[in-house]
Amino acid sequence: MNKITSIADVRRHFRNNKEPVYFISATNFNLLGIGDWVGNFRHINYIDCFDGQQRNVFVPKEKFPRDFESIEDINNYLLEHKEVIDFIQSRAAGENAGVAAFLMFDEHTEEICRQLGLRVAFPPAALRSRMDNKIETVRIGNKAGVPSVPNVLAKVGSYRELLEVSRELGDDLVVQTAYGDSGHTTFFIASEEDYYKHAEEIEAEPEVKIMKRINCRGSAIEACATRCGTVVGPLMTELVGFKSLTPYKGGWCGNEMFAGAFSQEVRDKAREYTFKFGEALREEGYRGYFELDFLIDMDSGEVYLGELNPRVTGASSLTNVAAFAHSDIPLFLFHLLEFSEVDFDLDIEEINERWSHPDSVDSWSQLVIKHTDESVDLLTRAPRTGVWTLGEDNRIAYDHYSYHPHAAENEREAFFLRISGPGDFRYEGADLGILITRGRLMDDDFQLTERAKAWIEGIRGEYAGQPLQDPVVEEVAVTHAIGGGNFKIL
Amino acid sequence: MEKTLVFRTLHEAVPGAKWRSLFDYHWPAYEAWYLAEGERERPAYLSCYNALRRHMPELLDTYRALCELAGGGDLAARFLSLYQPPAYITGCSQAVLARPGAPLLARNYDYPPELCEGTVLYTRWNGRGVIAMTDCLWGVLDGMNEQGLAVSLAFGGRKAVGEGFGAPIILRYLLEFCDSVPQAAEVLARVPSHMAYNITLTDAAGRYVTAMIAPDRRASIRRVPVATNHQKKIEWYAHALASETLIRERQLSILVDDPATTEGRLLEAFAAPPLFRRDYARGLGTIYTAAYWPATGRVNYRWPGQTLELAFEHFPEQQLRVRYGPR
Repeated sequence: MNKITSIADVRRHFRNNKEPVYFISATNFNLLGIGDWVGNFRHINYIDCFDGQQRNVFVPKEKFPRDFESIEDINNYLLEHKEVIDFIQSRAAGENAGVAAFLMFDEHTEEICRQLGLRVAFPPAALRSRMDNKIETVRIGNKAGVPSVPNVLAKVGSYRELLEVSRELGDDLVVQTAYGDSGHTTFFIASEEDYYKHAEEIEAEPEVKIMKRINCRGSAIEACATRCGTVVGPLMTELVGFKSLTPYKGGWCGNEMFAGAFSQEVRDKAREYTFKFGEALREEGYRGYFELDFLIDMDSGEVYLGELNPRVTGASSLTNVAAFAHSDIPLFLFHLLEFSEVDFDLDIEEINERWSHPDSVDSWSQLVIKHTDESVDLLTRAPRTGVWTLGEDNRIAYDHYSYHPHAAENEREAFFLRISGPGDFRYEGADLGILITRGRLMDDDFQLTERAKAWIEGIRGEYAGQPLQDPVVEEVAVTHAIGGGNFKIL
Repeated sequence: MEKTLVFRTLHEAVPGAKWRSLFDYHWPAYEAWYLAEGERERPAYLSCYNALRRHMPELLDTYRALCELAGGGDLAARFLSLYQPPAYITGCSQAVLARPGAPLLARNYDYPPELCEGTVLYTRWNGRGVIAMTDCLWGVLDGMNEQGLAVSLAFGGRKAVGEGFGAPIILRYLLEFCDSVPQAAEVLARVPSHMAYNITLTDAAGRYVTAMIAPDRRASIRRVPVATNHQKKIEWYAHALASETLIRERQLSILVDDPATTEGRLLEAFAAPPLFRRDYARGLGTIYTAAYWPATGRVNYRWPGQTLELAFEHFPEQQLRVRYGPR
């Protein structure tokens, strides 16, 4: 193929694509709808959110309940499964089985892919893991001129040592470990008592990030570092720690995307920082899709680098469905292009200019609904995947099947992706499903709107479960269910 | 407490409906056994496939055909690879009577009758006739091919468990693709076994060896005509005592070393203590005696008062009910 020089070329290239492309993950949530853009695209998932109705979603029929430890673990299980291997081989052209994309993968995944003839469309796991390190993120940011919240990086062996190294930060501190879900590895320390609650975890680390505690809002922005420059998506708000959505304090539970998220100044700064960070990542050898969390200081309006996720994320479902994605191409297509063998030369500056315009950003929001009670039961009923409507009386009703959020046409409609279904165990922290709708779900004070609450209650009301009588069964249910205590699939 | 087992003979040249019905009949029991230590303890399909491709690549076509007949599922395919199956142990005595022109491989299979398939399969999966007593649906406990190779396995009496295949699939591989003892010995020296086994083989030319294979050391392949349930010295005393492996070995050695021993005398010995064992309570009783004449393509399966006489030229499909219990 000739060199790609326009967005039209990119679209045509992927529409005509013959080489199989796979997204292998627990569900297809992160890349909903990408199959519309890419020929021969298939999802290979552990959970069938579509009850077999979605042609481009492949889920092995024969599965054993396992106590998976991580998403990598699920992906490795899938890739070593006979039905999956038969499926991939049936679509391969000789030794070339196609391209594989993941939310998470490790060195073992890479080895399996090599054996199966799949090319991984991401930088190597070892590099991703290094980039994922929060302490490394600070260093890359500093180099690129992207500031983090005032902080020090140090090994901490006692409360006194913590105070000594952080003297200039004041006494209201936030301590983070290098890896891990921010909801679980971020510690707020304002006193010796706070310190002892987390001393063991902090002292076990070779180095921790110690920050000044600021009054901030979380935000997320996705981007893709390509050889022609870094393409930057819109700044999104984050829904964090709502008790009606998640049992995890500080846990992510959704996003909003709308043109007026934060001030123009903040948006511009976040875009600029993201571009610079993307260029810095390329210097480190990383390329492709990534997400940055920015902490917006509500007192000073400063924008601080929070966290880097070198991958597609839970926010990708919004980034890839908004108006700009459809007027040009979804951000993930830039990622596939960067990892294809096709030569391209695109004017990224022009694209970024267009995407930063408020008209490019239509309003979308999503809620990740988890089971928030400590109870465990066996689901007997669950709302189906598709479009649901919210009536005047705030009751919800199933309207029709769809696989795409766009099918929800107005704010009284929402696309629901069912994760937990009949026959699954419902336990604290289990992902029930994801609701994507047009418009906002929080008000300007970052509180859930009445509409959001009605949707959450409506969806919860569609679930029914059968209590477990036997404590042994309950114990097994909790340890064997995906996400049982160890990790979250989303 | 009396147990019964129905032996049946099946003749099916290429994998088809008969093998499939065998699978359907036995699969629930094998599935439970395969999952006994948990699904996660068994290797993934990809590892099983890779192991087969690396060590016994010629078997892959048959393996694929059987997986397809078994429904194409993941778990059945992993089980059928016999790669890293759950550990299992048996008894068994086996001996070669190497008389010029008419070598005989005879053996007793000592195991819980309820765990024995009782199927004698006559197949032509890879261009040659193979008659074998099956285990794990296509593995071989003992058997013979048209080229004149006869094989038999006995547990090696050691607790070592490691990376490798269940011995029955290795025996299947030998019968499908080897013509002679030297060829088979070369295979036994390289294919890894997950537990210790003693494999005794003989061929139409009268050659014989016993291969002591194990996951933790190199195979020892020597020109020894008898094997019971230990490898060189006794390592697992409780098993050795319960199975009386030394007594049986001495008995067999005396018999085959004596030039006056006839086929009839050897087979009579297999039908009487100490070789014939009635220890059904502990799962170490004799389930059948097999006798293979690889030079003439004849085989006998024998029980007190009953015999199945079969050959490549004569293999009627039939069933035979056997009762086991203290006499």
